[in-house]
Amino acid sequence: MVMSPAKGRDVDQAELRLRLSASLDLARQQLVDATERGEGGRAALARHADCIDAIVRELVDHARVQTRAPLAVFAVGGYGRKSQFLYSDIDLLIVFGGPIRRPEERFVKALLHPLWDLRFQVGHHVREHADFDRPDTTNPEYLLALMDLRPLAGDPDLVARVDSTIQASARTWRPQVLEALIALTDQRHSEFYDTLYQLEPDVKDGPGALRDIWATRLMLRLGGDRRGGVRGASPDRLRDAEEFLMRIRSGLHVDTGRNVNVLSYELQEKAVDRLHYDGPDMRRRVEALMTDYFREARGVTRGLGRVRRVAVPPAPTPIRLIGENLMWVVEGITFADAAKAAAAPAEWLRAFEAAVSRNVGVADDALALIERELQKHAYAPETFHPTADHRARILQFMRPRPGLSARLSEMRDCGLLGAILPELNEISCRVTRDFYHKYTVDEHTLLAVRNAERLLMSPRFGPILREIRSTEVLVLALLYHDVGKAREGDHSIVGAEMAAAMTTRLGLDEGARQTIDFLIRHHLKMSRIAFRRDTEEPEVVRQFASMFSTEEHLKLLLLLTLCDVGAVSPDTLTTWKEELLWRLYVDAYNQMTLGYGDDIIDREQALVAALQANRPNDISEQEMATFFEGLPRRYLILFSQEAIYRHVRLSRDMRPNEAHFFLEKNAEVWELTVVSLDKPFLFSNICGVLAYFGMDILRGHALTSLAGLAVDVFQFADTDGFFERNSQGRKEFDRRLDDVVSGRTDVTSLLKSKEGSVLARRPLVHRTPVVYFDAAHSQRYTVLELVADDAPGLLYRVSRVISDHGIDVDLVLISTEGQKAIDVFHITQGGAKLTEEAEASLKADLEQMLQQPH
Amino acid sequence: MKLIKSIVRPNMVDNIKEALGKLNIAGMTVTEVRGHGRQKGHTAVYRGREYEVSLLPKMEIEVVVPDSAVDEAIKAIIGAARTGEIGDGRVFVMPVEQGYNIRTGEKDV
Repeated sequence: MVMSPAKGRDVDQAELRLRLSASLDLARQQLVDATERGEGGRAALARHADCIDAIVRELVDHARVQTRAPLAVFAVGGYGRKSQFLYSDIDLLIVFGGPIRRPEERFVKALLHPLWDLRFQVGHHVREHADFDRPDTTNPEYLLALMDLRPLAGDPDLVARVDSTIQASARTWRPQVLEALIALTDQRHSEFYDTLYQLEPDVKDGPGALRDIWATRLMLRLGGDRRGGVRGASPDRLRDAEEFLMRIRSGLHVDTGRNVNVLSYELQEKAVDRLHYDGPDMRRRVEALMTDYFREARGVTRGLGRVRRVAVPPAPTPIRLIGENLMWVVEGITFADAAKAAAAPAEWLRAFEAAVSRNVGVADDALALIERELQKHAYAPETFHPTADHRARILQFMRPRPGLSARLSEMRDCGLLGAILPELNEISCRVTRDFYHKYTVDEHTLLAVRNAERLLMSPRFGPILREIRSTEVLVLALLYHDVGKAREGDHSIVGAEMAAAMTTRLGLDEGARQTIDFLIRHHLKMSRIAFRRDTEEPEVVRQFASMFSTEEHLKLLLLLTLCDVGAVSPDTLTTWKEELLWRLYVDAYNQMTLGYGDDIIDREQALVAALQANRPNDISEQEMATFFEGLPRRYLILFSQEAIYRHVRLSRDMRPNEAHFFLEKNAEVWELTVVSLDKPFLFSNICGVLAYFGMDILRGHALTSLAGLAVDVFQFADTDGFFERNSQGRKEFDRRLDDVVSGRTDVTSLLKSKEGSVLARRPLVHRTPVVYFDAAHSQRYTVLELVADDAPGLLYRVSRVISDHGIDVDLVLISTEGQKAIDVFHITQGGAKLTEEAEASLKADLEQMLQQPH
Repeated sequence: MKLIKSIVRPNMVDNIKEALGKLNIAGMTVTEVRGHGRQKGHTAVYRGREYEVSLLPKMEIEVVVPDSAVDEAIKAIIGAARTGEIGDGRVFVMPVEQGYNIRTGEKDV
C-alpha cells in the first residue's frame, strides 16, 4: 500500500507524539520517584528540565520546515533557570531574524500545538530580533522573564546575537527592571500580609519562599553585588534554602497532581513522611518541619532585605555617631565598637530604641552580634534590666508607635526578645490549627502589636488609644495574650499566670500588673459578646460593663480586641465586626458613666459576702451592711477590699460638718479619700482645696449613699511639688481641708489669694467644651457629661456653678485623658431629676464659665 | 426549590442554624451585612456628642430548600430569630430554577 504524503506526515506526527509522550512520562516518573525519596530538589528538577529541552528541540526541528527565516528558541522564567517542577508552566521566547509572516506563524503553531497536546501549560513570547532595539519597558514582567534566558534551539548566529543584544540592553534596563522587581515583590508580599509566618505557607510566592530566592539573586546581579557581595545572602545559604523549598514544592505537585504550592495542614503531614521527619507523634513531626521551614524562610527574607537595601539604598545617610556606642549607617543602627557592645547586653536595647525613634532598622551586623552572643551565653532575663532605669526603658520602649513591631520582630529573630521575655520563647513558631488563624502564635502576637501602631491612625480608635496613660500595658498584654497556648489548659488563664512572672521581673506597679492580668484573662470576652450575644439587650451590656473597674480597662480591652482580631488574618476584622465592637464599647462606656447610679449594692451579692467573710475583727457585720446601704454597686468594683475597710472605719462616729480623710501616695500619684455626711458644696469645696494647693486632679469618684454618706476619692499629681518643698505641707493641707469642709473657712476667699498664680495657667489645647445632659439613662438622676480642656481648678469651678444652682452632686466620675477632662456628674434638685428649665439654665452658666478666661 | 434569604440580628445565627438543622436543612451561606429597615437606624451618644447609627450590623442567611419545606423553614427562622423588638429583621423567598453540585456536576432535584 502506498500512502499519500499528507497521510505519511500524519503518521509521522502521531509517531512523534507517542514517542515524545513516552519520553515525557518517563521524565515525570523519574521526578516523581526522586520526590518520593525526598530528593525532588535542584538536581531532579534540572534532569526534568533537560528532558523537556530535548522534547522542545525535537519539535523545533520538525517545525523548522515551515520557515526559512533564521530563528532562535529560548527557555525563560523558571524553566530558563531549570527549576522545572512536575506541573510548572514552560515559558518560551521565540525570536525570528526577520519580519513575522505566515510561514513564521506556521512555525509557532507547529511548535506549540504538539506541546499543548502533551498537556504542557505554555507561556510564550514571539518577537522579531529588531524588537530588542526598542524593548517594551512598560511590561516589567517580560523584562524580568528575559533575565533568565537560556538558549534551547535555533540558528547559532541568531542565538548569539539575541543573547548579546539582551546582555547589552540589560544594562540600560537595569533601573526599570530593579524598580519592577521591587514593586512586584512588595505587591506579592502584601498579598501575604507581609509575613512569612503563615500556618499554611505558599512555598513558591510567599515571603521567604522560592520566588524571593530568585528575586535576591536577580537583585544581586542587577547591582547588589557591586560592594563585593552582601552578608547574609551568601550563595551557599540561599542554595540550601532553595533545595529545601524545592523538595517540599515537588512533593506538593506529586500529592495534588496539580501546580499547587500551598503547604496546607494536610500536605504538611505528607511532607514529613517524604522528608523523613521523625518524632513521637504527627504533631511534633509537623512542628519540626514547620520550624525548619520558618528558619529557612526567615534566612531568605533577611537576605532579600539586605540585598534590597544595598541595591536601592535609602536617601544618603551619613555615617554618624548617635549615642554611646551607637552609629547610624546605611543599613540602619549599629554598634560603633562591637567588642564593647558584646560585653554589655543590658545596652543592646538602645540600638532598637534608636531605630524606632528614627524609623529605621537595626543593621544586620548588630543583629548578628546579638544573635551570636546569645548563643554563646545563657543570660538570665535580669541581665537585660539590672537597674530600675533599664526596666523603665523597656516599658518606655513598649509604647506603640510606628516601627515598634518591626523592631520587636528583629528582636524576636535575633533572640533578644525571648531573652528579655523568656515566656515568649514557648510560642516561637508555634502552630495552632483552627479555621481562623493564618499565622504562627508568635507572629500573630507581633502582628497584633503592629495593629496597635496602626490604630493610632484610626479616626475612631486613635483618640481612645491616645487617652491611655500607660500604653505599654497594652503592648505587654498583646505580647502575652496567647503565650498560654504553649501549655495545657485554658490559654487565657495560663497566659495570665505566665505574664505575672514577667510583670514581677519588670517591676510593674500593682495597677499595671492587675490591668495586664485582667486583659489577658478576658481577651476573648469582648469579641464573644459583641459577635455572639444580643448587645441591644441592656442586661447583656450591664453585665459586660460590670466586668470593668475603670473606663480605662474597658478602653484597653476594646483596643486589645481590635488588635487581636485584626491579627488573625487580613480579612478577619471587617468593618462589620469593627462596628459591633464599637457599639458594644459605647454602650458599655455609657453604662459605666451614665447608668451606674441606679444599680445599688445588694447585700446578697457575692462581692458583699466576700467582704463580710474577710472583714477584720474591728468591723462588725452590721457596721459594714449599714455602710453599703444605698451605695452604687460600682463602688465594690472601684475599690480594693483594703480600701473599702478603710472607708468603713473613716465613716465611724460621723457628725455633721465633720469629715474624716486619709491621704497616701502611690508611686507619683497622691490619693485623697474624704468620708463625710453629704451637704451642699461639699464636693466643690474639696475640689477648691485641691486647686488652692495647685494639685492636678487626674481621676476620682464621688459616691453618695441613699443615707447621705459621701465617699469622695481623688487621685492627683502634686505637679508643683508642694509636699516635697514643704516639710509641714501635709499638716497644712489637712488643716485647710478640715477648715473648709467644716465651714470654718470659705474656699472662695481662699482661692482669691491665688488668682494670678496657679489658676491663671491655661492649657495649650483649646477644645470647644461639650456640656451634655442625659435625662433618660438613669431613673433617679440627671446625668451631666462635660468634656473640656483640662485646666487648674476646672473641677472646682464646674462643681461651684452646679452647687450655686442649688443642685446636689450625688455621684461624680472624674477622668483626665491627656489634655482633656471628662467629668460625669449624677445630679438632682430637691431629690428629683432636673427640670428642662433647670437644665437649660445650668447649661448656659456652665458654657459661659468654660468660655471665660480664668 | 426556593431561596430563603433572611436578614437577622448577628447573635441569632446559631439559633437559626439549630432550628434549620432540626428540619434537616444543613447547607447555608452566612454573610456579614449592614443595613437599615423602616427605622433608618438611630442616634447614639458618646461623650456628649451625638452620632448617627444609620447602618446596623446584621447577618444575611441564605438557604435553598425544596418547595415542600419552605413554610416549615420560614417558620423555624422566624421562631428562632424573633425577639419581638424593632430590628428583628426580614425574610424573603425567591424561586430557584436549577441548582448543581459543583464537585459531582449533579443537578439538584
